[in-house]
Amino acid sequence: MALAMADTHRSGGSDRPASTLARSGADFRYAFHAMATPCEVRVETDDAALAEAAGRAAEAEARRIEQKFSRYREDSVVGRINASRGRAIELDAETAQLIDFAAQCFEMSGGLFDITSGVLRKIWRFDGSDNVPAPEQIKAIQPFVGWQKVTWETPMLTLPVGMEIDLGGLGKEYAVDRALAAVGAATREPALINFGGDLVVSGARKGGGRWKVAIESVDHAGQMAAMIELADGAIATSGDARRFLLKDGVRYCHILDPRSCTPVTGAPRSVTVAAKTCVEAGMFATLSMLQGPRAEAFLKEEGVRAWCIW
Amino acid sequence: MQLKTSKPAGHIRDTLATLSLGLIAANAAISPAAAQQSTDNTDATPGEVTLTLPYFEVGSAYLSYAESGGRVRATEPSVDFSYHASNGGVLTLGFQEDSVSGATPNGAAPADVAQSFVTPVQVKTSAATSSGGTGTTTVTTGFGDDTNVSGNGGEGGEGGGGGTTTGGTTTGGTTTGGTTTGSTTTVTVTTASGGSTIISVPSGSGTGGTTAVLGRQYTVPANTLPMDRGFQDQRFAGNIGWSQPLGPLSLAGVTLSYSKEHDYSSISGSASVAKDFNDHNTTLSFAVNYSSATSTPFGGVPTPLTVMNPQWKTVASRKKSDMDLVLGLTEVLTRRWILQANLSYGHSSGYQNDPYRIISQVDGVTGEPVDYLYESRPGSRTRESFYIDNKIDFDWVIPEVALRYYHDNWGISSETADISARFKLYRSLYVLPNVRFYQQSAANFFHYYLVNGQSLPAYASSDIRLGKFTAVTLGAQIGFNVTDNSEIYARAQIYQQTGDAHPAGMIGQLQNQNMFSGIKASWMMVGYTWSFN
Repeated sequence: MALAMADTHRSGGSDRPASTLARSGADFRYAFHAMATPCEVRVETDDAALAEAAGRAAEAEARRIEQKFSRYREDSVVGRINASRGRAIELDAETAQLIDFAAQCFEMSGGLFDITSGVLRKIWRFDGSDNVPAPEQIKAIQPFVGWQKVTWETPMLTLPVGMEIDLGGLGKEYAVDRALAAVGAATREPALINFGGDLVVSGARKGGGRWKVAIESVDHAGQMAAMIELADGAIATSGDARRFLLKDGVRYCHILDPRSCTPVTGAPRSVTVAAKTCVEAGMFATLSMLQGPRAEAFLKEEGVRAWCIW
Repeated sequence: MQLKTSKPAGHIRDTLATLSLGLIAANAAISPAAAQQSTDNTDATPGEVTLTLPYFEVGSAYLSYAESGGRVRATEPSVDFSYHASNGGVLTLGFQEDSVSGATPNGAAPADVAQSFVTPVQVKTSAATSSGGTGTTTVTTGFGDDTNVSGNGGEGGEGGGGGTTTGGTTTGGTTTGGTTTGSTTTVTVTTASGGSTIISVPSGSGTGGTTAVLGRQYTVPANTLPMDRGFQDQRFAGNIGWSQPLGPLSLAGVTLSYSKEHDYSSISGSASVAKDFNDHNTTLSFAVNYSSATSTPFGGVPTPLTVMNPQWKTVASRKKSDMDLVLGLTEVLTRRWILQANLSYGHSSGYQNDPYRIISQVDGVTGEPVDYLYESRPGSRTRESFYIDNKIDFDWVIPEVALRYYHDNWGISSETADISARFKLYRSLYVLPNVRFYQQSAANFFHYYLVNGQSLPAYASSDIRLGKFTAVTLGAQIGFNVTDNSEIYARAQIYQQTGDAHPAGMIGQLQNQNMFSGIKASWMMVGYTWSFN
């Protein structure tokens, strides 16, 4: 009976990939595509309807966050901020909390984590090519990077003209944590949320067992999959899988140091971090990549459970 | 510039954990689960998390084996390769090559007189060449000591490949001192390990002086265990396997193996499944193995219980098949104590004789040898065994005790006790001494010899491996990690079989002979494994 539910659910027009619900071992697996990545929600239950409700709640939350914070959409909050042309704008509570969080990470990391560094993508295109920008280009863009130039007095944000913010560095992890909250509102059954390898579980499986999940693309070629087992908390991975520049034998990873406006060099190919929440795990993964060759030492100093691939 | 390292360890972590939780929880629609999560978060450390990356493992080992008294010596280099996928799938590939040489007991009982034995040889004759009109006949004995016999039976030729490796040097056998007696030429072939004689007859016709060869004869001195010297063989073996978690099964796997020697080849396939229960504390497994072997003895397959002779036998090969079933249980009793138990059943059918092995037929009063008959074993063998293994981890030492009981319908019962302990010495350095005790009862068709004039039994073998004996193995392994992901190890073992040298009821001169032909052996192995992503 349960298997009969393993059919395809059309969740929108033909342009949007369908979400699916299927039996997977002792779980129901609800899969969809959002934030440019495959997403899945696993619920350990025999109740297909319950699993579908949980999956739909997670998907709705993911799509809400994607639309609200996408820098590609003019009607998104980020789109409005970036189009503010130096005028102060008032942010809603959720956005204000994200901005607060980003501002505190900026302080804590000594300026390494900076949501204004997205503008650097105009000169750094990580397409696997050797298109490294000229020093003049870097010099020209430097005035438009630096959170310290932004005026942030909750809830009013004033972004200098020419500057942009990008919450892409924490949006997906935030969506994972929020999706778990949405699933938790629908069911208390054990659940796992996995958005493209950034994942969180509600707790141990029934009987205390651990979740087993494969995550793709932990190496530079995007070919090495890893298997993760966990009973609580979250996992996030940062890496330069397929997103890099290669010039004169120097590999530029897609993580940019906002202070020099150049990519970090000597960083691991990928860092996978375990933490209580996906946002925390993702932030540690990013911060350690920004440490370059010191990534592993940094994680050890902080006592973070992490795996680096060099 | 780096993050300020003067900050106390975990500074960022504590702040970030609190901030992250605040961010997630700070929303109107806080779910019960999220609220639960935030209140539970007194410590910001997640529980045990493992990340499994795929990796490769390459291993190489070299084994050297030697039986005392100039008996079998063997060397075996091997290479193993495995790929461990992150989903738990494992691909394995292995190759071995064995080189075996030395002397093996031929099955005859010792006697107070010298004993001679004849075995077939293979003859390849080449045409005469211009100079001297002398052709060359190559005689292959099947034991590695190929010999060229010249046409007139006089000259000695160089023995090819007849040497045995002793202490790192190879001594080639040489043919010496041919004598012509009537129409029969005998050529003594001296190999490094002992003498044997090619019995040959010069052919009457033709100018090439080709030689008809009757066989090979070797003589064993009085009061000596009869052994055929110059035994030599080479074996190549390979295997490939795949296992992985599959559906409801914790593990499912298949392997395929092939092995080839000059006179024996076998192919086998196995399939196994395992399922975990009780939160991985109980594992039940089941394996089935099937193998098919072909024996192609040098000289053909002799008819059991017929008189040993140098004729080339008409039957070239015989087959044997084996089926084995193993039911296993692994139980994690405590966090440090693992128990494993196996129950196995096996059946072999087909040709199970040692085609080179004979059994003496002796005079009923004096015990002197009269004849030598090829041995005979039943074509069917059914076996059962029970194995139990306990392993306990005390941090500094991991002792292990394994016991095995075996029984088959040939009448052999055996008990084994294997005791070992892995001591952690310093960092990755460990030493693993082990001692093993073994005893078995004799097969119901085991005979030291047969008595001339009595009716022949259906089956008879004097192979001491089918007789009653006890054995002790002493050994140790030492190993350490050269780097984080490579290990070097060395293992040495000595093994001794003991049995009754003067069993009751021996006839005549046999009362004075050492009737136990068990071995004393030692082996040494060095190996290296290396794993990488």
